[in-house]
Amino acid sequence: MKRAERIGAAVVLLLGAGYLWDALLMEDVTIGDPLGPKVFPVILGGLMAMLGISLLIRPVDGSPPRPLTASSAYALVLALLLCAYGLGIEWIGYPAATFLFLLAASRLLGEKSWVAGLVIPLALSLGVFGLFTRVLDIPLPLGLIGKLME
Amino acid sequence: MIEILNHLGYGLQIALVPINLLYAFIGCLVGTLIGVLPGIGPAGGMALLIPLTYGKEPASAIILLAGIYYGAMYGGSTTSILLNVPGEAASVVTTLDGYQMARKGRAGPALSIAAIGSFIAGTIGVALLMLLGPPLAKVALQFGPAETFALMVFGLSTVTSLAGKSVRKGLVATTFGLMLATVGSDLPTGIIRFTFDIPKLMEGVDIIVVAIGLFAVSEILSSAEEMRAGEFLVEKVSRIWLSFQDFLQSIGAILRGSFLGFFIGVLPGAAHVTASFLSYTLEKRLSKHPERFGQGEIRGVAAPESANNSAACGALIPLLTMGLPASAVTAVLYGALLMTGVRPSPFLFQKHPDVVWGLIGSMYIGNVMLLILNLPLVALWVKILRTPPRWLFPIVLAVSFVGVYSVNASALDLLLATLLGVVGYFMRRLDYPLAPVILGLVLGNLLEQALRQTLMISGGSLDIFWRSPIAITLFVLAAAVVALPKVLYRSQSKLEVET
Repeated sequence: MKRAERIGAAVVLLLGAGYLWDALLMEDVTIGDPLGPKVFPVILGGLMAMLGISLLIRPVDGSPPRPLTASSAYALVLALLLCAYGLGIEWIGYPAATFLFLLAASRLLGEKSWVAGLVIPLALSLGVFGLFTRVLDIPLPLGLIGKLME
Repeated sequence: MIEILNHLGYGLQIALVPINLLYAFIGCLVGTLIGVLPGIGPAGGMALLIPLTYGKEPASAIILLAGIYYGAMYGGSTTSILLNVPGEAASVVTTLDGYQMARKGRAGPALSIAAIGSFIAGTIGVALLMLLGPPLAKVALQFGPAETFALMVFGLSTVTSLAGKSVRKGLVATTFGLMLATVGSDLPTGIIRFTFDIPKLMEGVDIIVVAIGLFAVSEILSSAEEMRAGEFLVEKVSRIWLSFQDFLQSIGAILRGSFLGFFIGVLPGAAHVTASFLSYTLEKRLSKHPERFGQGEIRGVAAPESANNSAACGALIPLLTMGLPASAVTAVLYGALLMTGVRPSPFLFQKHPDVVWGLIGSMYIGNVMLLILNLPLVALWVKILRTPPRWLFPIVLAVSFVGVYSVNASALDLLLATLLGVVGYFMRRLDYPLAPVILGLVLGNLLEQALRQTLMISGGSLDIFWRSPIAITLFVLAAAVVALPKVLYRSQSKLEVET
């Protein structure tokens, strides 16, 4: 899996180069401050890019990285569910989004029973919502559901 | 000496007044809850609960808040060990070996040693605070921006060199953390950097978002995959309690962590995070089996947990002896003191002995209380691990998300945490260490500001570093730490060839 190592090194190089580019385009202000806001990022970007080049030319030898397999798709789908959950919290509200996320994620990970699959998310989403908004006094959004209740 | 014991007796008298005992207990309990919930760290939790202290005696108010502080430090280790969810930046180190211990059926000993280590460290920290407070405050005063910069370079290079197998990959991780720290508006000039025109990024990337994303989210993504491939195994809990042998193995690490943590705690610059990272790397360096670190080594839990507790005591020194808050937590304490009508100043010890000694007395009592409160809870916490993974993983993600959301009420933070989870997932696969990212992020702004202030003082000349013996020593140590592993490794393999 030398190829995976190389792709990793290329990402490091691109990140460093992109960051360096952005840093160089930054406007420079040096009033009483010899370095200004620009120099430190330029050093970081340069360092990162050089590390990327070094890792491309001479990859670290050691244990080979684990190859991606068919089950890697589960990690990807779970990450997508998390994105949807993150967006949903403000849109349909915390309780509803949490309910849907727990339902979908437990299905994905192999929950078969519908009773447990519905009851646990319901209890948890309402329980956590109550704990934060009532006990700890930290507001959580109700989103669309809040609007419907008005 | 006798004078100090008299003062301590006086402090204990104040702390043992029933109402103050009650406040210490409430503080510890609320603090533990705050620590267990990811997101709200000790400083945030204390700030939330300042209203509880209105109208109370200054000593009582400060005892309550200090209890929250300790409780949160204790509680933070619990989720790190059980679920790989670091409640705050300092507990990131605890996840490295703590979570591995939990997966090997040793969650009980891990939690117990965290509690016992914190207790011993807290006690040592309080003792050192009493004995060395004023003289140490003078040393800390000598730390100008140049010395602070050198100290942070030393911390970063230590962690970089020991975090993984490859120094270059460690450096990539550290630099990535430093880069994340530069996102947002630059404090001295107000220039906006690396925000991609997203207004919410102007305030920068929150540490808790990165800690949860890189550690908790990426761990669960990897574990979900392993589970579906039939490779995710959590061994049965073998024993809940710590064996005497475990304790003997850890006591050296606890003592070293306590002293190291305390002295780093006195110094400026995210001290308790640096303390926990450094004590972990120190133990790894001293160990005959460094390869066991990261695989569930009990000393890898004992050392950082002790260091971060005694660093909490050390961090109080600048506040109590000079009236300077040097960290977020002590800044909240500073504010709370002001509200109760006590003005922190170099004369705090003389003017308000009841507050200072009451606080020190209550620290002893708070430590005992936390030990009594936490050890019985171990058996209960361990049961969490019996939850089937198909439920445990989604629930941990949901709890982490509500914690992240509660910090800034921003959905963008949730997307960032997910993105960093994916980044962490690939970093794990390719053997890039994750911990240096956190230290880089925590120290990034402080490091840059210290460098800029130093050069402002010197008018742009680097000579200023060579005129400070403290800075030179720290730079030499930093270089040695990076160069040494290779030299040691070579001489070791030579020996093996010879024998």
